Amino acid sequence: MAAVAERPRPVLHQEYCKGCGRCIEACTPGCIEAGTAIHPLTGLLPVTLHLESCNGCGLCVEACPEPYGMVAGDAPRLSPGASPRPFGRPPREPAAADEPAERVALPETRPLMLKGAHAAAVGALLAGCRHVYGYPITPSTDGAELMARLLPGLGGTFVQAVSEVATVNMMYGCGGAGRPAMTFTSSPGFSLMLEGISFMIGAEVPGVFVNVMRGGPGLGNIGPEQSDVKLACHGLGHGHTQAVVLAPSTPQEMLDLTFLAFELSFRYRNPVVVLADGYLGQMTGRVRLPPALVRPGLPAWAVPGDAAHRQNLICSFHLAEPDLEAHNHRLTEKYRRIAAAEQRADLYRCEDAEVLLVACHMPARMAKGAVRVLRGEGVAAGLFRPQTLWPFPVDALRPLLGRARRVVVVEASEGQLEDELRLALAREGTALPALAHVRRCGGMLPSQREIVEGVRAALRAGEARA
Amino acid sequence: MSTFYERFERHDHAAGLKAKSTHYCAGCGHGLVHRYLSEAIEELGLQDRTVAVSPVGCAVFLYYYFDVGNTQAAHGRAPAVAIGHKTANPEAVVVSYQGDGDLASIGLAEIVQAAQLGMPLSVIFVNNAVYGMTGGQMAPTTLMGQRTTTSPAGRDRHMGQPLKMAEMMAGMEGPIYVERVALYDAKQRVRARKAVRKALQLQAEGKGFAFVEVLAECPTHLKMTPAEAERWVRDELAAAFPLGVKKEVAGTAWGAWPVPVFEPEAVLRAAGALAEPAPRFCAGFPHTAFGPDVAVKLAGAGGDGAQTAALVLARAAIAEGFDATSIPSYGPESRGGTSSADVRIAEEEVLSPAAPAPHVLVAFNAPSLSRFGPAVVPGGLVLYDSSVIADPPALDPSVRLLGVPFAEIALELGQGMAKNVVALGALQGASGLFPEETLLAAVRQGLGDRGAGAALHEEAFRRGVRAAEAQAGGAGAFGWWH
Ligand code: SF4
Ligand code: SF4
Ligand code: SF4
Repeated sequence: MAAVAERPRPVLHQEYCKGCGRCIEACTPGCIEAGTAIHPLTGLLPVTLHLESCNGCGLCVEACPEPYGMVAGDAPRLSPGASPRPFGRPPREPAAADEPAERVALPETRPLMLKGAHAAAVGALLAGCRHVYGYPITPSTDGAELMARLLPGLGGTFVQAVSEVATVNMMYGCGGAGRPAMTFTSSPGFSLMLEGISFMIGAEVPGVFVNVMRGGPGLGNIGPEQSDVKLACHGLGHGHTQAVVLAPSTPQEMLDLTFLAFELSFRYRNPVVVLADGYLGQMTGRVRLPPALVRPGLPAWAVPGDAAHRQNLICSFHLAEPDLEAHNHRLTEKYRRIAAAEQRADLYRCEDAEVLLVACHMPARMAKGAVRVLRGEGVAAGLFRPQTLWPFPVDALRPLLGRARRVVVVEASEGQLEDELRLALAREGTALPALAHVRRCGGMLPSQREIVEGVRAALRAGEARA
Repeated sequence: MSTFYERFERHDHAAGLKAKSTHYCAGCGHGLVHRYLSEAIEELGLQDRTVAVSPVGCAVFLYYYFDVGNTQAAHGRAPAVAIGHKTANPEAVVVSYQGDGDLASIGLAEIVQAAQLGMPLSVIFVNNAVYGMTGGQMAPTTLMGQRTTTSPAGRDRHMGQPLKMAEMMAGMEGPIYVERVALYDAKQRVRARKAVRKALQLQAEGKGFAFVEVLAECPTHLKMTPAEAERWVRDELAAAFPLGVKKEVAGTAWGAWPVPVFEPEAVLRAAGALAEPAPRFCAGFPHTAFGPDVAVKLAGAGGDGAQTAALVLARAAIAEGFDATSIPSYGPESRGGTSSADVRIAEEEVLSPAAPAPHVLVAFNAPSLSRFGPAVVPGGLVLYDSSVIADPPALDPSVRLLGVPFAEIALELGQGMAKNVVALGALQGASGLFPEETLLAAVRQGLGDRGAGAALHEEAFRRGVRAAEAQAGGAGAFGWWH
């Protein structure tokens, strides 16, 4: 039996002792006494030690919930019979630096025929995404299905989550580890993800959400609707949240904008939403591949679980009010930078347009057809197609408003796009132009004919007033 | 020796004594579980591999204390976050630390999925039978009769019975190790320490999912001294939640994790991209009576192959350098027992992909013909399967109506499924939309270019062409292709 003196004696740091008394119960020889004097720094009653009969059993240390309350005196202690560090311990590495993503050139290939949802999946693969989490929901599921089929061959991982709630939190974990993660979802599923998206924004975690919108509210239907414009632009969960919202209108853009989404997501450490509509998700069309693919790097802030990144924390919690205020100010500043740098729009015959159609997603295609018809009739029409809904491309729109006498917003929703336009202009202090609209919803898209007629009616109304 | 930070910088910026003391109440069980977890990480040499997932609840500030990779999860979602971390970097040892409200109430779905997945993860579940952080409400593990702020008269059967998570986990196939331990005396603390260590070790060895439930004291909300709380856990809590190993199986190792591949060749192969340019047979966009944008609708019952035929047609047009889209029937149109697909082919850009008023209709059954026939534009073309449609409805007299026995021809070839290829052949024969080789090449690419199947498709296509030509009175007699 080891001599008493060879075993480490406990050391008590009274200032870190909360006086819980757990150690008292643990000590058989009775070396520990309940406190009687209030500690001047803590206002608590720390215990006192009388180690005359201490046998160094260490049970008091084992019983102390405070890391620096009762501690072992000298030699390191191990679990009985344990060998030290069987998994070794690599030397402590210096703090991580950003490991940049790398672009690898792609050879030229013949155009692909891809369904919109599949084009987004291919865009994600080319952007270096190898981690896809998802829950089946029509009409987005084709994207997840393709990923489930392709990822094993590319060393990737597809996890079918128990719900959209779990999905977004898996993305939070994967993105927090510094890896490009994504999901495919549709409106009701997107609603379920909002809490998690707010956490991602708060903790500055990247991740890409392809939301193939369907008719709402509630279960609505599976028809195409621009139902989540408001949600994506102004409702990403609780708190002061904002994320780039991309609006493709062809299978080609499903690929290109999903590819771009990953770049933006990591550039700004923020989720990015690719909003598509059900029609676009289902539609097969011609798609060309970009000139290069991305081999992702590893950002310095990530928490992959290695030595170089050990000091990092992914967290949206700021208990002290001044800390949270400062954090929100930093986010605001980031949103401002994004708003200045990331506005995107596609302009079709806008240079001399006197009537400007504003449309995105699928309705933009019908609107483009309408512009052609109207031009054929001698109407100077143009199409302004936002490719980012947040930030709304107001910088490109403003110069057009001098000439355009009327603006006709074409959308498959009851005014969600129009509200974005109004808000963007109002924020800029730009006077609202004369607005008219062509709207369908509930899974119906405005047809080219309806748009042409809507524009004609708007022009007639304008003349009548003049 | 531990993996606690030397100073808790995140604890109120390490102001004063907070640099070295926890935020926990005196005697709280969390502090002990932290101690055992911290020491296990150190003893196993896992500090640089560990990612600790902090929950919502009293342990939300776990990241104040542990000098490891840290992340903080939404309420109940720690296991999902842990799955994200583990799949992102399988080398990491990911610890999900949760309380009872977090794990056994709001996060039930997440913990059940993670457990049943069986992925190597270490879950530490601290059960103190009450909501701590929100101020003493009833937890899923609150005992019968136990008073809390939301069961002021004591929990009764109308509030449900305490949820035994360890037993639930042990009843599932996924986990390889489930144990319930406690902290109320030295013996239990030794067991608790060993269990936590084991849960980590199993993950570090790549074995599987480990779950340790720790019965812990919350003196504050039990309104007891720490010593009384220890006795309460011993006498009451442990009586309702029996201690011990609930499941332990050798299990098979989780296996090798995938290693991401970014080689261009592999990615292009996965995407189905072909290097060589598609052969072209067209001299230019077909001169149809309808301008540079042709709308074709293919409709039948599910299984007639209308969707596949639509894709082949669109593929043919794209191979020729035109734009084309194909979209399955969608929304209101998809009801009523028909499956249809709209194809648009445009010289430059398809704008509207739908074909509500098609130039060409290919109908595989009678309902499709009567439904979409009247929508065909004046001067348009309707092809129908005359083997199943005996009396076609009367349509606009300017619409050319052509019956070709798609199914019969396919059956003669011994492959009824090929009737959509016959239909494509008929479309070719009647319209001469593209040179024959254009569609044939797309059939080969879309349906396979090798073996007996390919030969059969080619024959089906050619017979479709001939049958339509015979009906129409000569090759391309319909007069689109000049
Ligand atoms: S080491 Fe053992 S004997 Fe000594 S004070 Fe602690 S519990 Fe008592
Ligand atoms: S167990 Fe620790 S905190 Fe509690 S009384 Fe003893 S030394 Fe103080
Ligand atoms: S409220 Fe209970 S669980 Fe929370 S810190 Fe205090 S004692 Fe611990």
